[in-house]
Amino acid sequence: MWKQPWGYAEGAVICSGLFITGTALQFTTGPVNANLFQYPINLLFGIFYMVCMIVLHLNKKKSAAIRWLSGMEASITSIVAFLVMVLIMGVTAQTPQGATVEEKDFLTNLGFRQLTNSWSFVLIFLYMLTVLLLTTLRKTLKYKTGNIGFLLNHAGLSIALWGAILGSGDLQRLHMVTQTGTPEWRATDSKGNITELPLAIQLEKFSIEEYPPKVMVIDNTTGMTLPSGNPSMLAMENDSLQGRLMDWQLSGTQYLPMAAWVQGKYVPFQNEGATTAVYVKAKQIKTGIVKEGWISYGSFMFPHQALELDNQHSLVMPPLEPKRYVSEVTIFTEDGKSIPATIEVNKPIKVNGWKIYQLSYDETMGKWSRTSTFELVRDPWLPVVYTGITMMLLGAVYLFAFAKIGKKNI
Amino acid sequence: MSWDDFVWFVIASSLCWIAGAVAALMQKGWKLPVLLTCGGILLFFLFILGMWISLERPPLRTMGETRLWYSFFLPVVGVITFVRWRYRWILSFSTLMAIVFCFINLLKPEIHNKTLMPALQSPWFAPHVIVYMFAYAVLGAAFVVAVYLLWKQKTVDSTSMGMCDNLVYVGEAFLTIGMLFGAIWAKEAWGHYWSWDPKETWAAATWLGYLIYIHYRSHHASRNTPALIILIFAFLLLQMCWFGINYLPAAQGNSIHVYNM
Repeated sequence: MWKQPWGYAEGAVICSGLFITGTALQFTTGPVNANLFQYPINLLFGIFYMVCMIVLHLNKKKSAAIRWLSGMEASITSIVAFLVMVLIMGVTAQTPQGATVEEKDFLTNLGFRQLTNSWSFVLIFLYMLTVLLLTTLRKTLKYKTGNIGFLLNHAGLSIALWGAILGSGDLQRLHMVTQTGTPEWRATDSKGNITELPLAIQLEKFSIEEYPPKVMVIDNTTGMTLPSGNPSMLAMENDSLQGRLMDWQLSGTQYLPMAAWVQGKYVPFQNEGATTAVYVKAKQIKTGIVKEGWISYGSFMFPHQALELDNQHSLVMPPLEPKRYVSEVTIFTEDGKSIPATIEVNKPIKVNGWKIYQLSYDETMGKWSRTSTFELVRDPWLPVVYTGITMMLLGAVYLFAFAKIGKKNI
Repeated sequence: MSWDDFVWFVIASSLCWIAGAVAALMQKGWKLPVLLTCGGILLFFLFILGMWISLERPPLRTMGETRLWYSFFLPVVGVITFVRWRYRWILSFSTLMAIVFCFINLLKPEIHNKTLMPALQSPWFAPHVIVYMFAYAVLGAAFVVAVYLLWKQKTVDSTSMGMCDNLVYVGEAFLTIGMLFGAIWAKEAWGHYWSWDPKETWAAATWLGYLIYIHYRSHHASRNTPALIILIFAFLLLQMCWFGINYLPAAQGNSIHVYNM
């Protein structure tokens, strides 16, 4: 071993060495602290690293080790090592970023429960990236048109990964809780630190649009939905409930989308706290016995209401499933603008470099919530990552379109 | 259209696919097998389209619904491979696998209702899942070829290996596109493009597995057995990613991808 030319054995030893070094660092210094990696340190590190790569590349004639680093054995062993790290992550339940690891055991000491913050992961990731960058440089500087697919894939991945790593320190993800009618400009990060933002959000109205009600049969003693293991449901269609559920023929005779429970029955009610109620007639198909009554999932003001079908079974309405969460807001910026906007899940809005996402609401109040929580994200390195992603997409199209027998240079 | 009609579409499509596969095996030129298989694909797609319309959302949410697309794409991949490289037996394999997945759906129907949680209501949802299902179908075909070559053939010729390569290139290309579409969607829906959610972790593992195959093959054009073993291993990773994580303790409760059955 270690006689030129190097092969897979040397690659495996390097990766194992990095893993052992990383684990030793983990035991002595604890997890990687990514907080220090902010602008301008990340930018300077990125430039310094690129300069190192170029210097290494220019000296490749003098050193067989550098040539090996941009070669196939190094690529394969580094991808395998990284795959091993990813698999460790796949089989170990991960503690979310920002949260503290609860368990105090060997896996925690190894850094496996928050793997992306562990030294072994970071070192192996950086090693793989080094091999990738040197390979990309080698091919870029020997550009031929036949290489275009290779370049798009390798350079695209390099750029996307570098953008993601260098940008991770500058990525800000804050939570802002807003109340109806009150402007809010303070937000908290995952550790609970409060930040004052250059913009304020005033919640005008929060609303939830829901799917039509459904009904299902539960076991009276266990409360489990039936048939157990494969529960079935009957949904209302066009405001009408008709159909068979297990051994009962159901028909809804009255439907109140907004209802209140008053003196033993439901009445229309258009105010805060209203629930949804259906009056159901249920005919047991085998015995012909008919039971009827109101069912409702209730709300923070009214109790839920079930219809007892027989000694063992009841008919219930689970809470309605949400279709849309909508926050109507006004956003005030430092330069004096006030912008009316609607924020929904999957439809964030962008204001002065911040993207604002609908995150949650007061679940105890349901659709009557007067609170809406937003996530505010600033990710200045995103254009770099998206440049890489675009190149990779083009590279993938190339790979697909030009796949041929015996084709090299992919 | 509802799942009650599914069995009739399965019978009609399967008959077309079987006829196509038999025609291909009997060396009857390429037009008849292609025509028959495409007929079956069209019928099957009519069912998907009908479900799409009657559910008022793309049928992509539950495990059963993704199997539907898998059954659809297998013959599509089969017919493309057949037309492009003229492997006569590929249609038999794609037909067999498509029918197996249809049967799983017939025997183990899961709740298919209309609701679609707000996070899934995105223009990226359909392309993300459809591209992935196509990739899974292509890589499924590559897996079958690899198993066949390893166990049935004493010597593996370079043409057969070339077919594995092509299927993996196409599969990996689609995995890449599906993954990146997912990243862009995640940025729009959850604020970040990659968060090492268990599904993402296993998708990365799958992607890396096929990447190893591609690199290994381009370095060792004649070492076939290790390459085929890598290919089979990568497909096992894909199975973990597709449905294995639904049963994996480490992935419970913290994945946005665990299917709503």
